Amino acid sequence: MVVQTERKFILSNPQKCLGCFICEFACSAAKEKSTDRILSRIRVVNLEPTGSMAIACILCEDPRCVRSCPQNALRQSDETGAIIVDETRCNGCGWCIGACRFGAIGLNPKKKKVVVCDLCEGEPECVKYCPFEGALTFGTIDDVTHEYRKEAFKKLLKELGGEK
Amino acid sequence: MFGYAGKILRVNLTDEKASEEPLNESTARKFIGGRGLGVKILFDELKRGIDPLGPDNKLVIATGVLTGIPIPGNARHIVMAKSPLTGIWGESSAGGFFGQELKSAGYDAIIIEGRAAKPVYLWLHDGETEVRDASDLWGKLTRDVQRNIIKEVKDDRAVVACIGPAGENLVKFASVFFDFNHVAGRTGMGAVMGSKKLKAIVVRGKQKLKYSNEQKLIDLSLKELANKGENARRGPYWPDALDKYGSNADFIYWQLSGRLPTQNFRMCTFFGHKNLMAETVSATILIRTNTCPYCPIPCNRIVQVHEPYEVDPDYCGPEYETTAALGSFCMNDNLAALAKANELCNKYAMDTISTGVTIAFAMECYEKGLITMKDTEGLDLSWGNPEAIVQLTEKIARRQGIGDLLAEGVRIAAKKIGRGAEEFAMHIKGQEMPMHEGRGKKGHGLSFAISNRGACHLQMESDDLFEETKYPEIGIDETVKADRLYTGPEKVKLVKIVNDLFILYDCLPICRWTVYPCGGRRLEAFAGIINAATGWDVTIGELMTVGERVCNLERVFNIREGITRKDDLLPKRLMEEPLPDGPYKGEVLSKDVLDKMLDYWYELRGWDNKTGIPTREKLEELGLEHAMRQLEQQGLL
Repeated sequence: MVVQTERKFILSNPQKCLGCFICEFACSAAKEKSTDRILSRIRVVNLEPTGSMAIACILCEDPRCVRSCPQNALRQSDETGAIIVDETRCNGCGWCIGACRFGAIGLNPKKKKVVVCDLCEGEPECVKYCPFEGALTFGTIDDVTHEYRKEAFKKLLKELGGEK
Repeated sequence: MFGYAGKILRVNLTDEKASEEPLNESTARKFIGGRGLGVKILFDELKRGIDPLGPDNKLVIATGVLTGIPIPGNARHIVMAKSPLTGIWGESSAGGFFGQELKSAGYDAIIIEGRAAKPVYLWLHDGETEVRDASDLWGKLTRDVQRNIIKEVKDDRAVVACIGPAGENLVKFASVFFDFNHVAGRTGMGAVMGSKKLKAIVVRGKQKLKYSNEQKLIDLSLKELANKGENARRGPYWPDALDKYGSNADFIYWQLSGRLPTQNFRMCTFFGHKNLMAETVSATILIRTNTCPYCPIPCNRIVQVHEPYEVDPDYCGPEYETTAALGSFCMNDNLAALAKANELCNKYAMDTISTGVTIAFAMECYEKGLITMKDTEGLDLSWGNPEAIVQLTEKIARRQGIGDLLAEGVRIAAKKIGRGAEEFAMHIKGQEMPMHEGRGKKGHGLSFAISNRGACHLQMESDDLFEETKYPEIGIDETVKADRLYTGPEKVKLVKIVNDLFILYDCLPICRWTVYPCGGRRLEAFAGIINAATGWDVTIGELMTVGERVCNLERVFNIREGITRKDDLLPKRLMEEPLPDGPYKGEVLSKDVLDKMLDYWYELRGWDNKTGIPTREKLEELGLEHAMRQLEQQGLL
């Protein structure tokens, strides 16, 4: 389950995410030409009172979804790490959905094919439309954690009363 | 039908029966939804003179054509009934997830009628409506109710609308509390739910709505969401004001321009404003913000306080109206007490505006000796006493001691106290005044007097906003005059146009904070979205007529209950006592001036000048013949 450090993926920061669903719509609009949120490859969890977070594929290494597919319909791109669904092979059996520990794979009920984040060729629509700064980032682990460290630093400064 | 769920759910609590009715497409187009759909249903079904808290009253929760469409501000739904606070048309809107969930559960609206024998809640899911026992929930605070119900229905994506103890105790201005801190505050809709022994409505929707031209709708929606919702933001002046400060950003503006409602309208600036202004709130008690579905503007404040009051961040923080009502209006400069009183209002579910105005009324009575320490059981109601404000809020919600009297609202409380207390009961048609100063922006002042739900700031915007911007597509051009102190016909015309527009907004429905008047988001965009969703060909003109139609039907609803021109008034204080200081020192909105404005108002509206009743011609023009016939039967036309 280790994520390769140089790959860029989509990660939401629960400290910033407000669970507004805009990322879901941006995704289903771009990928399925639909307003139906269930077709989105990124899904929002509003867990009251804990908070909100959006979850998409995090590009696991040696992914369980690929290993679990009985049809050999899934493979992982060597270049980007994205999971690629071969729609001619996928029969919507859903084993990969069950195997993914992050709930990042969905099912298009009409086509009966699974759907998973394809990173929009490096310019994800969800990130583009997310209105809340820092809520959704497309980057490597180091990019993302850098943002987190900045936040932690700001908080620390505030507590010490040294905010500029 | 495209763009709508196409069905209305009717639940009779007396015999616990639920039934579905189709939403007729011509009705949908004529009234659009929300407030329009509600007044159509309630006007047709309620009989004149019924007891608002009796089983004959009906409660409608309605969504509209925009509900569920992924654009900023779509997340509104309107709660309507005959109001127990005013005895006339009652309506209040809220944001959040409920409307969208209701529509995807397959209903454009719910009608609740009758009265349950014991406390119940409704559970709407997968096309089923269950009436469930709520005896265990009766008496519980709003967030506890929500948590318990979510556990009971075993679905954490279900959305809960509920009342708190204030609604159960029939506090006349009790509110309805929706999901993550969204409240339908005004006109006492919570008391109507309480009178029906309906503790909550829980909805889970899984259906996808059908649209006429989905790709076009997607393109238009993405345009609305582009650049962090730039279109929906607050004009060019202060685009991130609501993100940073919420609606309380306005507090300092009203203070500096000498129009901050203070001390029951005896003052117009407040010495303690620095403690309450948005910058202070953000720097001290704000811990995070929240938003509604598809909205890039997180105006909802979450606050936390530990000393000297423990304020639970589970309940949303004060916005502008609350800050003024429980703050300056009561001369309270203690932010912690204000946040606590606001939290109590949300816990018990009652309107913060009415609560603040009622407390200010009690404080003035106390000052004048009409209420004594004996009446208050030792509570010192001196102006600004933070402890008094916190305790009185709880007493009202629980109807304890003097709270029982105040829970009736200022109109009835003043009548019971007598001895001239009516002079400082700040209400119109029974509803407590909102936190806007009609003496210093006269168009807004007029709109309070003519509002169909009693005193209300949402029937027109502050005149200031129209002074430099135009909106010629709907008639806001050189033929209107917005100058804040101007009272001539060109001002009345402006009020009429904006009034129709704002009523339409409640029909669509769309959040006022995302359609800043004369800002980037205009009716043309909404007409395009509605047409893509429904396959209709509505124009701006047709939409504006919907606003006018709904205004007229609400007016006839009120006429039926006995409202006439003599009720279109302001509290005496605003008409007689001049503003004491600030840039508008000396200003009043005198009875004479108001009368002149009203003359022109009725003329523009096509209403009879003496009685304020819509004329036959106007009702026919708007396709409201059935309303006309009712008035004829009553001998009023």
